Amino acid sequence: MTLIHVPRPPKSARDPNRPVNALLKAQIQYLQDAELKLPFRQRTNIYVNAIKTEGEAARYIRRVTEAIHQAHEAAARKRKRPVQEGVINIAAAADDGPRKRTSRGTTARKKAKKTSPKTARKKSKPGRKE
Amino acid sequence: MAPGLDRLKHIVVLMMENRSFDHMLGGLTAKNPKIDGIKPGLSNPDTSPAAKPVSPQPLADFQGQLDPDPDHHFPAVDLQIFGGDTSPTRVANMQGFVKSYFNQRRDLKHSQKIMYYFPPEKLPVLTTLATEFAVFNRWFASIPGPTICNRAFAHYGTSFGRVDMNLLYVNEPFKSIYNRLISAHPKHTAKLYYYDTTSSTMEITNLLQYQPELFGTYPQFLEDCRKGALPEYSFVEPNYNDHDTDGGEEIANDQHPDHDVQAGELYIASVYNAIKKSPLWPNTALLIVYDEHGGIYDHVVPPACTTDKFTASANATGTGMPFAFDRLGVRVPAILVSPWISRGTVVDRVFDHASIPATITKFFLGDYSPRSPRETSADIFIEPQAGPVDPARNLLSLDTMRTDCPEFDV
Repeated sequence: MTLIHVPRPPKSARDPNRPVNALLKAQIQYLQDAELKLPFRQRTNIYVNAIKTEGEAARYIRRVTEAIHQAHEAAARKRKRPVQEGVINIAAAADDGPRKRTSRGTTARKKAKKTSPKTARKKSKPGRKE
Repeated sequence: MAPGLDRLKHIVVLMMENRSFDHMLGGLTAKNPKIDGIKPGLSNPDTSPAAKPVSPQPLADFQGQLDPDPDHHFPAVDLQIFGGDTSPTRVANMQGFVKSYFNQRRDLKHSQKIMYYFPPEKLPVLTTLATEFAVFNRWFASIPGPTICNRAFAHYGTSFGRVDMNLLYVNEPFKSIYNRLISAHPKHTAKLYYYDTTSSTMEITNLLQYQPELFGTYPQFLEDCRKGALPEYSFVEPNYNDHDTDGGEEIANDQHPDHDVQAGELYIASVYNAIKKSPLWPNTALLIVYDEHGGIYDHVVPPACTTDKFTASANATGTGMPFAFDRLGVRVPAILVSPWISRGTVVDRVFDHASIPATITKFFLGDYSPRSPRETSADIFIEPQAGPVDPARNLLSLDTMRTDCPEFDV
């Protein structure tokens, strides 16, 4: 068996600031199309027309690729969630529905109020580290 | 009796980016005249009034030479193949490469670099594999156009009428090779390994967004090789961009100009080594192929072929002429690796990327429809196990497995 030496590229060959080529632009376009089908909370909020370098393209590509996988994993978990006997299926869907409003506002707002920094500061002793 | 075929259980395809046959392997003709590369008398006219001939020269460099990226969209490739003749009676002559590259920078001297090729010793990995196993003299891109539509042929056997980079598959009439395999009865296994999530997959985002379970990363490919757990069909993608990861710095290794060619050499060697050191080595064939020529010179005229189901309009081609997918693209490097292949095999039959799904389908599934007209007429590079084997066509033809295959220090 012959062992063949393979020369390594110099460090200078790497340049994340290189302008994106047509191929990467096309890849970004495809991923943007895929991103638009993701749930809102999993979108990147990155303005793709402002991507100019390979490094910037790479960050966007990674975010969307990971988001696609996460969205599918979340959907798979949801499909596998066991339904308790005697509980109607619609109850499970209610977990993800909007919070119930009370006469004094949403439960979320109330919860936020309870733990607001303002309240917390009042309760803490002076000089005590949080 | 074909013991190599009988033992074959896994086919791996590694598709690199944008280099022509003559540019990468043309220098091998001096060592083996059966390899149809660079020979005396080849040239392209430059754009001076005297149309001075520019000969191919062994001066290709790893990086920095092909900047800007040579144009390889449909109209530019049309110019490269037909030399600028747009008449109805035109004949392909491969005389427009220098003209095409000149159009980008208007620099006479720089435009000649499109004719440069690598001396074999500069590409120890690719040239070693080409001479140790089977090299294809007539493997062409599927379309005289850019990356995305060409890669589509490798996955679907068609580009659905597209000759450009804007390819979004919706309700495609022809299933991808991956879908065919995993939905077969009995079920087969297939996976696309992209380099990492920061490089991701190139043109099959549609598959990624609907079937992410088909995808893995390159570290997973290495692990699957090590464990002997490769799927029956694997498609491996290179890293398409320079980027930082949690583990450090990554360099693009797809060999797309102006990415470093040596980085691609290392990557090819790494894929080969992983398979060779795997317990699956006796049962695996690896095809290394490039998606298209990237606008770089090649001397072989792409042949006519069966028309596809689709036609690209004159508007879509940008040449003022429609395209019926009745001509292949420019020739690209392609090498088939297996320990059952004789050293120095040179294949003269015509192939294109539609040969990939055609071969995988025939080998694992047998008869299958529907497939595109281009795919059904494409030649196959691995003979099916079922039925009698034609020894003249079988590349995995050795009676005993080779033990002298090279290894690379990566």
